[in-house]
Order: sequence, then structure tokens, then C-alpha cells
Amino acid sequence: MKDYKVSEEKAKGIGKKIDESKKIVRQAFEKFKPSEAAITWTGGKDSTTNLWIIRQVCLEDNIDLPHVITIDEGDAFTEITDFLIKISKKWNIDLEWLCNFDVLKASQSKLGNIVKVKDLNERNQAELKRIGFEEDSFTFEAESYTGNHLMKTVVLNQFMEENNIKALFMAVRWDEHPARKDDKYFTKKEEGHLTPGHTRVAPILHFTERDIWDNIKLHSLPYCSLYEIGYRSLGVRTTSNPMEVGVPAWQQDLENTIERGGRRQDKEKAMDRLRKLGYM
Amino acid sequence: MKNVILFTIDTLRKDVLGCYGSKNKLTPFIDSLQERCIKFTNMQATGPYTQASFPGILTSSYYLEDGREKKLSPKKTLISEVLTKSGITTAAFHSNPYLCDFFGWNRGWDVFYDSMEAEVSREVPYIKGDEINKKVDEWLSSYIKGGEYRPFFLWLHYMDVHEPYVPEKKYVDMVDPSINFSKEEMFNLFKNTLLKRDLSDKRKVELLKKLYFAHVREVDSYVEEFFNILKKLDFLENSVIIMSSDHGDEFGEHGGLSHDGKMYSELINVPFLIFDYAKDRGEVSDALVSNIDISPTIVYLFGLEPEKNFKGYSVLPLKDRPERGCFGEAINKRSVHEKETDRPIYYYQKKELKIIYREGIDSWEMYDLKKDPKELDNIVEASPRADEMKGILKPRVGRWLKGEQLKQ
Repeated sequence: MKDYKVSEEKAKGIGKKIDESKKIVRQAFEKFKPSEAAITWTGGKDSTTNLWIIRQVCLEDNIDLPHVITIDEGDAFTEITDFLIKISKKWNIDLEWLCNFDVLKASQSKLGNIVKVKDLNERNQAELKRIGFEEDSFTFEAESYTGNHLMKTVVLNQFMEENNIKALFMAVRWDEHPARKDDKYFTKKEEGHLTPGHTRVAPILHFTERDIWDNIKLHSLPYCSLYEIGYRSLGVRTTSNPMEVGVPAWQQDLENTIERGGRRQDKEKAMDRLRKLGYM
Repeated sequence: MKNVILFTIDTLRKDVLGCYGSKNKLTPFIDSLQERCIKFTNMQATGPYTQASFPGILTSSYYLEDGREKKLSPKKTLISEVLTKSGITTAAFHSNPYLCDFFGWNRGWDVFYDSMEAEVSREVPYIKGDEINKKVDEWLSSYIKGGEYRPFFLWLHYMDVHEPYVPEKKYVDMVDPSINFSKEEMFNLFKNTLLKRDLSDKRKVELLKKLYFAHVREVDSYVEEFFNILKKLDFLENSVIIMSSDHGDEFGEHGGLSHDGKMYSELINVPFLIFDYAKDRGEVSDALVSNIDISPTIVYLFGLEPEKNFKGYSVLPLKDRPERGCFGEAINKRSVHEKETDRPIYYYQKKELKIIYREGIDSWEMYDLKKDPKELDNIVEASPRADEMKGILKPRVGRWLKGEQLKQ
């Protein structure tokens, strides 16, 4: 990011935004013990910024860092995995790696492979039943309905239950998606059919995509190398694509193009609709 | 030059429309348009569900042409791409997830609304027709104000007839006021009978059909609302409106429910109307046409040169159109879930004869649609014309694989 410049005025604005975030984090710590909270860290720019801010509060206030978790859906970029390992060492973080190894084993860790339901352990079989999946087999895809549930929701739920987690720090932002524009800093999720009850905390909700990069530059935050080659938003391998090949994320027209244009997390939405229409 | 509007309604069977002979009075508005319509009685879709049929409608090509891809192949050309190149404004408003931008259908449109950001409910998992109308109204209203006027191509698509069949009470009452179902009960009927493809209880199948009828009645009111918008904005007289459906729906005619991978008429033979305000009397065409002919017809209406990537031919002018057979292909899935192991199914129709081939079980069926419109009497063994029909369909089986092998 050598040539990337942040004006003094903008730097001041970023400072204010960080303070705002810290306030949210402190409010969260008034309500929840660090041992009852978890920070989700994907290795992407937002969750790294989020973690960096929470960690600062913990250092300043002499509080233990909450659990830091990452969910491996079996389709991760090696660049992200490497980044997570490197930075957790550097920041002295005991990163908890969540993965549904049972599904991974049944699919022989290969996307597109058919997974037979009878090859799965009891919990996974019960989980499939719980979401109304009644077929004998499914194709292993990270962001398919079954894949998403088993690889993400189930492992997260299990982790939350086992550790009695009451709060989850998430790195969502208002400007990342029109659907997010009414999100709140604190969202209470009632215990439901598919989630244990907990509170979601979103300390960096007010950061824009530009703010994220400005802050990374100002405070020399580490970032995954994929952003250098054109990725704007990182998900799993099969559904993420660079927006502008070869153009670093921070040099792209962040203000006038869609951040998630290269990322087809929209797939989940489409799949959800299709399921409701009686397909899948 | 007139604007062209393509108006498609998901899952709409031909035989529920009054203008196609239904006595159920479900479509009073559409029926009232007939004096200004060309009504085609023999329009065949290229497939029995959205992914198999829409490549026909919007890209004038066949579903499996480029292999079994979930997303629209980049090799296919969308009508929007053809028209945009020629300076025609193109806009799309729909709520079918299979046609959303994730699957690649947003190519070439100036305006593409697929509703995927909207919150939807379990009972109505799409944006309803009146909402689509509102979006179209907003867009058309702003389009008039946009300075220099250019002709436009507008495609709108309603999902309201599609399951889970939880229509509003008002429309259920119009069909059968004795049905006193709560939303929950209707939804359970969908979940326990339709999703399971359970035909064991005839009464339940009849009920499902009535709920479907209620949706048809509902959709007719949205069509009327849409025509009123056109009238209000002075677009009715200077637009040609093409109306059709991507496929029908089955209520036990061939042992199934919904629209799985079959090629029978209740799924394939769809309504097709061309409305032109300038017409002073209705016309009926019995010509065998395919939905791959829709996009070429749009190109023709805009006075453009035929697009070479399109496999179909304009249905206009009606006169002197040579007789052609028509094809379709899909995956022969037999439940809500398409499995990787499910194999393709193909059909070819020539005049009154239709032949169907299921690759998975290597089976042939042939029907004489004139003598046997319900397609219950398979004549493939008896008919002297079976070999000729097989000969035309056979080269299409797995042809994309052969292409791959040739290239290698």
C-alpha cells in the first residue's frame, strides 16, 4: 500500500470511528464476560479490523481476550489460512479452528463429491433431519443449503453450546450491503429452531469499505495477499472472485462499485428462495 | 417503432385460461384482450421447469446445449444483449431465483431487478405481482422523463402461480368458498403432499389444484393492473405485448405433482399470446411453435437483423412461415431434489406426433397428440413412424459431450 495516501482530515475521522467502536466493545464487556464472548475472524479485512479493535480494548483495560474463532468450511483459500496462522502467532492469539471434520471425511474433502447421509455421524444426520433434508445424499458444496448448515451453522452452534457463549462479535458494516443498512450494534437473537440464544455485537458497523482501508494504512494492519490481486471481499474459494484482476482492492473504485460484486454469497440467498419454492 | 414487452407468468398452465377453453372463469381480464391478440394454440416450451425453459425464451437456445451447467453459459446470447447493442433500452423485473444475477441472467440489461434482496415469507417466497407492477410503474414513469425517448424492451415475470400455493382468502373464495383453510393448513398441504409428491389422497390433489386456480385468478388481476399502468402512461397503444409461461404444472396427469422432469403437454404446451392494440380482430394460429421463437420474434418486431446465435425463428409474419418441428430437453428429475445421477430427458414434436426419450432408463415413448391429447397411449412400438422420429431425436442425446470429445 506504498502509494496509498490518507489525508490528515480523514485520519482524524478514522480516529473518531475507532473510538466509537471501542465504546461499543466496552459496552459489550459490561454485559458479558470475555469467556462468554467469541470473536469471529475469517481473515478478511473487516474481521481483522474488528479483532484489532477489540484486542486493543482488552490490552488497554486489562481484560482477557474473548475466544477467537474461525470456521473452516472445507473450501478455504490457502492464502487466508496462511494469513490466519501468521497473524495469530504475531498477535499471540489462541485461535480456535472450527470445522465439521465428519462431513469433510465423508466427502473426502473434495467439493462436488456426493456425500451419503448414512456415512455421517449421528449429530450431522440429526441436523439434516432438523432442516428437513430427507434425501439419501447431497453434493458437498460449502455454500449450498446442506453444506452451509453442516459446515457453518452446526459447528458454530456446537461451539457456542459447549463454551456457553452469550455474545458474538461480528464484523458486519452498514455499507457492505443494502440489506444491512438498518442493522444495530447489539442484536439479541432469541433461542430458535436453528440458533442458541445469544447477542450479536457489531463494533465496526459504521466503518465504510474505504474507512477499513484507510485504517489498515494508518495503523499498518496486516491484510491477506488476495486483496493485492483484486479481491474486494473474501468468502470461500469457489464463490469469491477478484473484482478487477490485478488491481489492489484499495485502488479500486470503492465508492461506485459493489464490494461483493466478486463474491457470490448471493448464492445462499438464491438457494434459500429456491428451497422455499420447493426445490432442492 | 413500437416498444416490446415480454410478459411471462411462471408455472401457468394453458388450460386454465378462459381463452384456451377453461370454463373456470379464472382469467376474465386476459380473456377480454383476445380481440387484439394473436392466440397461438400450439406453443411448446423447451423444458418443463424454469432452468430448462428460460434458455429457450430469453436466449433462443436449448438448456443442455453447452452441458449441464447450473449457471447460464457465457456461450448463450441473451435477448437483452442483442437489443442493448442496437440502442434499445432493456429492463427486467422478476422474482425467480433461478433467473437471478447469481445464475448469470443479468447480462445485457440496462435495468435488472431480481428481488433477491427483498425479505420474503415462507408462504409467499417471492415478490408478488403487484409489487413487480409497482417497480415497473416507477421505472416506466422515470423513463418518460428521461429526455430523448428511445424504444424499450421490457420483460416482466410473475411468480404468483408457483407453489407453495398459499393464496389469499379473497382469491380462494372466488374459486371455491367452501375451502376454509388457514395459511398454516395450506402450507402443510404443500409440505406433506406436494413436496412429497404424494398422490395417494385424491381429495388433497384436488385441493392443491384449487389453490393453484386461486393463484391464477390472482395473477389475472395483476395482469389487469399492469395493463392499466400502461394505459395510464400512454404505452398501451405503442407497445406490442407478448405473453407466455415458462411451463405448466402437473396434478397427477402422469403420476406426479408440480413440474419435474417430464415432457407431457400439461408441462410443455404453454399459452402464447401477442397483443397489439392496433389489431381490430383476434387471430388464432395453430402453427407448431417453440419458445425458442420468442426472442427472434422480439428481434423481428424491432426491425433488426436476425441474431445468428438464436436457434429459433420469428413467429411473425404469420403467413408463409415454414412448418418446423420442435425440441426440448431437461433433467429427468423425479422429486424436489435434482440428483447428480439423474439423466436427461428429450422430446421432439412434429405436427401431431411427439417422441420422448429418457436417457437414464433408455426408454422411448411416442404419442399421437391428435388422437391421444392426454398422452396415455404409448405408440412407439406400433407406429411405423417411430424410427423416423427416433432418428431425428437421437443425434441430440448427449451431444454436448460429443462436442467435448471432438475438441479434445
